[in-house]
Amino acid sequence: MATRRQTLAGMAAASLTLGRPIVGSAQAKMAPITVVINQSPWFDSFRKTVELYEKESGNKVELDVNPFAGSLEKQRNSVRAKQGQYDLLIMNSGWFAEMYFGGFVEALSDIDPGFKLDKDIFTLGDTVFFDPVKKTMAPGGKLMSMPISPLIPVLYYRGDLYKEAGLAAPQTFAELEANAKKFHKPPKMYGIVQRGARGPATVSFDFYPYLYGMGGSIFKNQAAGDYTVTLNSEQGRAALDYYIRLAREAGHPKTAAMDQADLIQNMVTGKTAHVMMVIAAWSQMDDPQKSAVVDKVEFAPTPHGPNLPTAPGLGHWLGGVARNVPDDRKRATVEFLRWYQTKAAQMATAQAGGIPVSAAPYREPIAQERRFRWMKAIAESLPHAVSTMNFPEAGEVIPILELGLNQAIAGEIAPVASLNSMAEQIHAVMAKYNYNTGTLPKLN
Amino acid sequence: MRRLSNRAFTHAALIVVGAAVLVPVIWVIAAGFRTQISLLTGEFLFTPVMSNFAEVLFSKTSDFLVNYRNSLIVGIASTVLCLTIATLAAWSLARLDWPRWVVHVFLGWALLFQMLPPLALASAWYTLVRSIGLQNSFAGLILAHTVLNLPMALWLMGVFVREVPLELEEAARIDGASTAVLLRHIILPLVAPGLAACAILTFVFSWNEFAVALNLTMKQTATVPVAIAKFAQDFEIRYTQMAAAAALSILPALVLLLIGQRFIVRGLTQGAIK
Amino acid sequence: MKQAGALSRWATFGPALFVMLALGALPLANLVYTSFHTVTWSGGQATFSWAGLAHYRALPADPLLRAGFFNTIVFAVFAVGGQMLLGFTLALLCSRVRRGRVLYRALFILPILIPGIVIGAIWKLMLNFDFGLINQITDLAGIEARNWLGDKETALASVIAVDIWHWTPFCFLLLLAGLESLPQDPYEAAKIDGASWWQELRYITLPLMAPAIMVTFAFRLVIAFKVFDEIYLLTGGGPGTATEVLSFTLYQRFFTEDRAGYGSAMAIAIIFLCSLLLVAALSVRRRPETAA
Repeated sequence: MATRRQTLAGMAAASLTLGRPIVGSAQAKMAPITVVINQSPWFDSFRKTVELYEKESGNKVELDVNPFAGSLEKQRNSVRAKQGQYDLLIMNSGWFAEMYFGGFVEALSDIDPGFKLDKDIFTLGDTVFFDPVKKTMAPGGKLMSMPISPLIPVLYYRGDLYKEAGLAAPQTFAELEANAKKFHKPPKMYGIVQRGARGPATVSFDFYPYLYGMGGSIFKNQAAGDYTVTLNSEQGRAALDYYIRLAREAGHPKTAAMDQADLIQNMVTGKTAHVMMVIAAWSQMDDPQKSAVVDKVEFAPTPHGPNLPTAPGLGHWLGGVARNVPDDRKRATVEFLRWYQTKAAQMATAQAGGIPVSAAPYREPIAQERRFRWMKAIAESLPHAVSTMNFPEAGEVIPILELGLNQAIAGEIAPVASLNSMAEQIHAVMAKYNYNTGTLPKLN
Repeated sequence: MRRLSNRAFTHAALIVVGAAVLVPVIWVIAAGFRTQISLLTGEFLFTPVMSNFAEVLFSKTSDFLVNYRNSLIVGIASTVLCLTIATLAAWSLARLDWPRWVVHVFLGWALLFQMLPPLALASAWYTLVRSIGLQNSFAGLILAHTVLNLPMALWLMGVFVREVPLELEEAARIDGASTAVLLRHIILPLVAPGLAACAILTFVFSWNEFAVALNLTMKQTATVPVAIAKFAQDFEIRYTQMAAAAALSILPALVLLLIGQRFIVRGLTQGAIK
Repeated sequence: MKQAGALSRWATFGPALFVMLALGALPLANLVYTSFHTVTWSGGQATFSWAGLAHYRALPADPLLRAGFFNTIVFAVFAVGGQMLLGFTLALLCSRVRRGRVLYRALFILPILIPGIVIGAIWKLMLNFDFGLINQITDLAGIEARNWLGDKETALASVIAVDIWHWTPFCFLLLLAGLESLPQDPYEAAKIDGASWWQELRYITLPLMAPAIMVTFAFRLVIAFKVFDEIYLLTGGGPGTATEVLSFTLYQRFFTEDRAGYGSAMAIAIIFLCSLLLVAALSVRRRPETAA
């Protein structure tokens, strides 16, 4: 069975490169499935990939596309009803934990005991696994979902300016600071623009690479279920101090008000030399309708402390199978996911401008193409990606981080006070929900 | 002389305010003709492009024309339904001798209902609509919009209905007019200005409603606000396409307004003739 | 009026009663019920555990709620007050002109035709520090560019300004319709008596318009309490908690944090607060009417 699929997948890949129409499939027809997904820059590539699957397999896949602001609502409505409307839920890092813990998605291995995750698939902080008893996400758990889009931040920097100055991409935070200062000539050009605004997952998402990249963390060991709050450690202090210093000396004067849209705006209008931003925005950089710096932006993994790995935070999308739908649709969904993880499907995704979740395409010549020059940075970063909140109450913890970080960056409270206060509040939330938690002694 | 300068002053004031209103609107519509980078750099002069409108109307992932049609169906149906129910009830409560407590409690309940956040309503209605199997039809959304706008319509029509002089109604009654005749030939023409204003607002509220529409529709029944919200993505706000969609979306209400103006004028002259 | 039979009475009032009960009572009852419970989900099933008044008691300690309370009152008073004043003035001016009234009415109504999300997104661009239209205009006037939405001092005021721009048409439209429905006799009598425009306004227009004004105000206030789309896109409640309003806090607690019980209690509390404010505002307004 597996060999036949590989052959078909190979044929599909060949057809893609040769431009010939795909030969009719001899596979068994499966039930049509409905996918709930949101509109996004990478949606188009997903849609094309799905169309390829439909052509190859003859199975029908219906896409229900929603605004980002509505995706969670619709998924919740569907999974909480007696009979779900959606079979495949494309879950954001913000809510997949809610779906796991609430028992709303069924393990892929429960639907199809023979299902094996392709060895090339990035497990994205092991968030595809879940142990329903221990309630942790580690490789020992069941396989709950398939990665769909691995969104992590990378460093976007002005390659043209670097070339002029004879600099190489920064690896450490010290290098980033030095380079940013070099290009910082306000108000025409800022060294770097960071997020500082308070939002649904705004400043905190920007802060994670700094925190984890310097060896800090929010919790001690999520994979082992230890939720001791370690935010106010020495590394946490170093990270926040650095973040604020960078903003003050090489960043935007109104960093405390900057959000995602502002970052993109500053980058595409050529007003900043660096920005640490999620990879999904790459397509805007080279689009002449959207950018004034076409072909000038280069990509690198987010910087890190000396002798530490890069540590971008995950803002990814996972595909889970709803529990409250008929069995034949569950099996059809698993079938789609089995196809999605193959090299051929991932190559198709890459060709369509999407971000592959498999390491295979990154080894291919496609990763050397100029228009896909971000692939190198992503391939380097993905194995080290960090999932910061593996529990459903993340929705209560993130606002604490957002407010605390925003106030520290705005200078309303001192960084140390902010870290201590945030740690205390987060501890209170974890304790309220009976997690195994504790605190560090206060920073002074 | 004084009359002339008064009128000039009035017009001047109106024009100044008109400019303050118009400039951002024109900015929005113009943004629909710009490239994103042109908008982001804030340049004043720009070369217009049609790509945004093309993308909104004709791209593969866009169902905008379908959404437009859906919004029209839901908007017109819910407005007609809402205003019919509201006007009848408002007149009934004002003139048909209901006990005072009924009037107060009902209107108070309506006002209270208006205070409920759409978030809380949306999920409750989803469950209700799902249990009847109407989740992918227009009926659920039309009813929901009718209820959402009913309190305001009730109260407003209550104001306009009470402005019809009692003597007129009594005279008609003495002449032997039935309730239906009374409503159609006396009340309706006289509340026309208020009714038109109410209709425009109800239609606009239905047209622009997002939270409930999101929950009660799927791909085939989605409305314009749901479509527009898709341009506010998690990593990018597609301003220029959003602007193009917004420019297209204000057309029906404008048309409705121009039609509605005629009724208002007609209503006035009829009132004078009385 | 006593001549209207029972059939007429129920035929005219019945539909409204039915609709409001069938579709309106259920969500409210659901909300009240949930506010006394804590809802948890596991294995795909919901569990409602009794919480009594715990959620209500937790409300005053909520830091976002405290900020939201103050901001919402300020927002409601200034935004709604501003819109009513501006809308009424415009309606008065418009009712005096004969030529061009159709044009003015179409013009002034434009902002309310635009969906809330678009207003939020577009005004965010216009108020942008680096490239926004507003800063470009103030630049021409020689005023220093400000980060309107990002500075604590100006954020709430900017949001209020956008709201006034957006919602004045609502007040304008209704008040103009109200003015156009007024009987002409008192005005003719006043003209014969030689009354000035101010006396006309104070003793004829305002008292006659009182019901229309109060209803417009009441509904505008209620809708203002629920404002969400614009703030979500303009400021997201920031900077800090400068533009945190109650509906936003509700969204955060009820939806993002998925605390249905606590959120329901908050929703009920907000309704209660809104009613209080409404009653207070309307009783203040009633006094000038009795004086006239």
